[in-house]
Amino acid sequence: MNRRQFLWNSGGGLGGLALAELLAAEQGPLHHPAKAKRVVQLFMSGAASQCDLYDYKPLLIAKSGEVWDPGEKVELFQSKPGVVMKSPWSWKQHGQSGKWISSLAPHVASSVDDIAFVHSMIAKSNIHGPATYMQNTGFVLPGFPSMGSWISYALGSANNNLPTLVVLPDVRGYPPNGPANWSAGFLPAAHQATMIRAGTANPIYDLFPPKNAKFITAQSDQDAFAEIAAMNRRHMVGREDDSRLEARIASYEIAARLQLSAPEVLDLAGETEITKKLYGLDNPITEDMGRRCLTARRLLEKGVRFVQVWSGADNGHPRRNWDSHEDLAKDHLEMGTSMDQPVAALIKDLKSRGMLDDTIVYWTTEFGRMPCSQGSLGRDHNPFGFTSWLAGGGIKGGVSYGATDEWSYKAVEKPVYCYDIQATVLHLLGIDHTRLTFRNNGIDRRLTDVHGHVMHELLS
Amino acid sequence: MGMHIKSLALVLVAMASGTLVYAEIDYTREVLPILTARCLPCHQPQALLSHGAKLVDMISGTKPAMPKSGAPLTEAQVKTISSWVAEGARTGDQWWSQRPLAKVTPPTAGHPLDSFIAAKLSEMKLSSSPQADRRTLIRRLTYDLHGLPPTLEQTESFLNDKSANAYEQLVDRLLVSPRYGERWARHWLDVVHYGDSHGYDKDKPRPNAWPYRDYVIAALNSDMPYVRFVEEQLAGDVLRPNDPQAIIATGFLAAGPWDLVGHQELREGTTDKNITRLLDRDDMVAATMSTFVSQTVHCARCHNHKFDPIKQSDYYAAQAVFAGVDRADRPLDDDPEIFAQRRELLSQRRTLQMVLQPLADKLENAATPELDRLDARIKDAKLLAAHIAEPKTAEESVRKQALKDRADADTAIRQKLLNEYIGLENMAQMTGLMEQAKKLDTAIAMLPKPKQVYAVSNYFARTGTFIPALIPRPVHVLLRGDVNSPGELASAGAIGVRFSIKDSNDEGARRLALARWISSKDNALTWRSIVNRVWHYHFGQGIVDSPSDFGRMGAMPSHPELLDWLAVWFRDDAKGSLKQLHKLIVTSKAYRQASANRTDGATLDSSNKYLWRMNRTRLDAESLRDSMLAVAGKLDLAMGGPAVRMFAFKDDHSPVYDYAGFDPNSPGANRRSIYRFLVRSAPDPFMDRLDCPDASLLTPKRSTTITAIQALAVLNNPFVLRMSEALADGGGTVKQVFRLTLGRDPGVEELAELEAFTKKHGLANLSRVLLNSNEFLFVD
Repeated sequence: MNRRQFLWNSGGGLGGLALAELLAAEQGPLHHPAKAKRVVQLFMSGAASQCDLYDYKPLLIAKSGEVWDPGEKVELFQSKPGVVMKSPWSWKQHGQSGKWISSLAPHVASSVDDIAFVHSMIAKSNIHGPATYMQNTGFVLPGFPSMGSWISYALGSANNNLPTLVVLPDVRGYPPNGPANWSAGFLPAAHQATMIRAGTANPIYDLFPPKNAKFITAQSDQDAFAEIAAMNRRHMVGREDDSRLEARIASYEIAARLQLSAPEVLDLAGETEITKKLYGLDNPITEDMGRRCLTARRLLEKGVRFVQVWSGADNGHPRRNWDSHEDLAKDHLEMGTSMDQPVAALIKDLKSRGMLDDTIVYWTTEFGRMPCSQGSLGRDHNPFGFTSWLAGGGIKGGVSYGATDEWSYKAVEKPVYCYDIQATVLHLLGIDHTRLTFRNNGIDRRLTDVHGHVMHELLS
Repeated sequence: MGMHIKSLALVLVAMASGTLVYAEIDYTREVLPILTARCLPCHQPQALLSHGAKLVDMISGTKPAMPKSGAPLTEAQVKTISSWVAEGARTGDQWWSQRPLAKVTPPTAGHPLDSFIAAKLSEMKLSSSPQADRRTLIRRLTYDLHGLPPTLEQTESFLNDKSANAYEQLVDRLLVSPRYGERWARHWLDVVHYGDSHGYDKDKPRPNAWPYRDYVIAALNSDMPYVRFVEEQLAGDVLRPNDPQAIIATGFLAAGPWDLVGHQELREGTTDKNITRLLDRDDMVAATMSTFVSQTVHCARCHNHKFDPIKQSDYYAAQAVFAGVDRADRPLDDDPEIFAQRRELLSQRRTLQMVLQPLADKLENAATPELDRLDARIKDAKLLAAHIAEPKTAEESVRKQALKDRADADTAIRQKLLNEYIGLENMAQMTGLMEQAKKLDTAIAMLPKPKQVYAVSNYFARTGTFIPALIPRPVHVLLRGDVNSPGELASAGAIGVRFSIKDSNDEGARRLALARWISSKDNALTWRSIVNRVWHYHFGQGIVDSPSDFGRMGAMPSHPELLDWLAVWFRDDAKGSLKQLHKLIVTSKAYRQASANRTDGATLDSSNKYLWRMNRTRLDAESLRDSMLAVAGKLDLAMGGPAVRMFAFKDDHSPVYDYAGFDPNSPGANRRSIYRFLVRSAPDPFMDRLDCPDASLLTPKRSTTITAIQALAVLNNPFVLRMSEALADGGGTVKQVFRLTLGRDPGVEELAELEAFTKKHGLANLSRVLLNSNEFLFVD
């Protein structure tokens, strides 16, 4: 760890010094043999409702419209508890595992035998900002590194042409907290995520000179690379000991490779019509999420270690994420429909390419929603019980872990915090979450703080 | 008793020889690192120390009982511990940073810093490097003190200055320039995590944060004594209530992120509201203790500090210091008379609010089944109306209006019920008080429009559920840091001390007491902390290489005697003058050394801990941007004022900060980077890639990374390309552009090569190449 830590602290990651090759040679598990090589995290911004997607409770249907009495005082974010509200969607069992899934997610339902649902998630805040930080970084405060940054710090890059860590935000905008959600925090900037705005004219900031910089031509650009290298080589004379100077020379070489490989990986033209259809690119509702899920697969294929795909933007009006305080039937329908097919497509596509075995698909949200109504049609925040799920990469499929009470209100069986999921994901990547540390302001910080248990029951 | 004798002995030895000599096994330097690494993770220090000889038994032998995990201690380590136990297992005095400042004298005559450094180097069988050439020196010094390159004229004039004190004169000239304050204020703003937006969800702009930034720049430029600088930032409003600048100074406490939703939208008394406040005060405690005394007090929120002598109760004592303030805008007037009037009116209004608030709380928390039903209906109507947002059809308009009407009707009924619930007498009292309040509010509103500063305040107008404390909120020691497990009540204090405060409701007295504890002549932490910070920025590494952590998890000082000498000199001789401190440091030989490599140094001290050469540094994000502006002749040196928004802004539920949409021709676009508007949720991607730190994070030390994404930013960011064109537009020859950017003449072959390139592609492309070169980005 020490040598690797040194290398990464002095500026690894994409462009990982002239030492990138050296690192590549020793790429392997950090602490123990790994089952997974890469992760795709699907983040439902605004709080997706567990009791309208995955957490089936007959009592909600039976008592719908009645006064809700869970037997204790309920503290809600915006409102006082309304009546019991059944889901606007119907429920059916699916797969060999017989998993109950609502009709809001028919495509995910068709993959339940690959999925381990964790129904007993708890968040430490009922406010979007802190809770979204928590699911990303393990802390309710800003300034901590995201899970992807930690993984980059632990394992470095698995390729020399693309970033280690990519974030694909919703085309409608950033989630609460903005890009700070995928900050490298106090980890070196080498572990920053690269944001790709898939499907836009300029998907990666500064990948190429802007069109209005007329003085730059293809030839001048190419010659500029050569001239910078020549100048930097001359400058190194007498400064040969300084690895940073060498690293900067290497960084331009890798930048040139990235200019070739990034457009290639983002160009979906080579995908078959069947694949595009699978992801819902032919339907305006699923097109954006579909494009980004497909892009995620292509990035993972090319050796990107961690891809984060966001479903939903901020919590504003008109609604553009899962934060359905007012009209759940309308707003969750939009979000659910846009998410369901692309996400299921990603699982199926990874599976058909043999990549699901070593790719972890991690679906999450910052907290859940209440089983009672807010106003007449909405649901308020529920940090006490919600659902995340995992698939692939050494995860056992067709499993349901933990449970909420009969209302889908509170996690009562095997409560799980994000730390446990993070510990499990790191474990599958060959990392002991208690040993992945970075000293900051007097504390050896961990992704999992002082918490986290590997959820062995989920491992295949 | 043993402890005291030992510490006395140390001081005596120190005074006799000028350096601290440890005749026996030194607990702190030799024993503690072993204990910290191998024993303290599982064992309490006191328990370990009480074991004595038994401790040696546990760790020695072929199969020692301890440590349980990992390899046994090495023979040398066991020997160290057994010798130490044989000598009486004395724990020395305290951890190095907790000891009083030692009165040391430099070992030899000459520049005191060089004397200490040379002594260490000679111990290491090393020597310092020769002085760097003048061209290197002026570039190094100008970047260090101004964050900018020297102009060609400045370089030429220094090269040709034959006077004996040419270098000193250069130092003086640079320290007098206002560019100095701009450069060094940026360091301070890193340390205190200053930003221009709140952060979190709904990351709203904080339009009145900038006066604090200007305060720091002005304080540095005017060489404000450090004691005053410390005290004003914590309690300037208490010390000098008439002085707007002193109030602005408390922007320090408000500099960090603020959870708007938690403060403004959550109801009083809920768990999440309490967590929001706990974390908000936590941020103030962490910022204060890290910045001024380099202590990680924030590690003791859930339990006693695991490594340092900081109790959980100390942590909550520090929280109690800030229990009466929140971050909020504070009004200021330039006219002292108006300001006095305003303060008088606000004080009356605040006193009134103390009577009014309990009644208002009763009203707000009124609950009957009927009221609850109405509340729910009103909220529902409002939610559904908001959800429609801008009606798109006639039907939606009608529906929205109906919802509004329903809410209005319900609100009227609610008011009637409420009057009955509160009772006529209370209602009458409240109405009376509210009339008085209204009068005062009107009188305040009649005053000329004030300036505002985002600072800390104990009285401000309510926004949503965000209300001032009026009297300090009770702070309890929280078991495991859990707001739902309050233990004993905490009283204001700091590490190992509780302040004696006459009126416990006087929140200002609490902050002032903390300020005085920190600024005290006897607080060794404070003086060591600041001189080390300054050293860190000059050399690129501190004497203690963890500038905000002088605890056991931090680094050990490389030159403890020098550190103490410097702290005492700064406090007593320089009277807290940072400019004198800078001058002392940059006139040392150590600072003026060449940065070239040497085999002996690389072999014996590869990290250059003992300063056998100067460290080469890469420009930080701000210096790089400012340098590009400077060499392109575009740098706008206007000082101060509202932060420059280098993005397109669209206010919304979560505002949009669009850097790609920035208009480079907008006013202020070419100002120095310190005046940039710092968005916490969405940092400027260009600066971010150059290691500009997250504004939500206390950053005592920046990292320097080198990545391909960074190379692409320097190559292709529109800003760099604009500067490349501006350089070319200045006209001139290849040689001139080269000199402008790199401050030297090109070599003959180099020139030929670049001329060929320019002939093909033009000066703008040449400029782009030069701005991307390592020579431009690094300072020898």
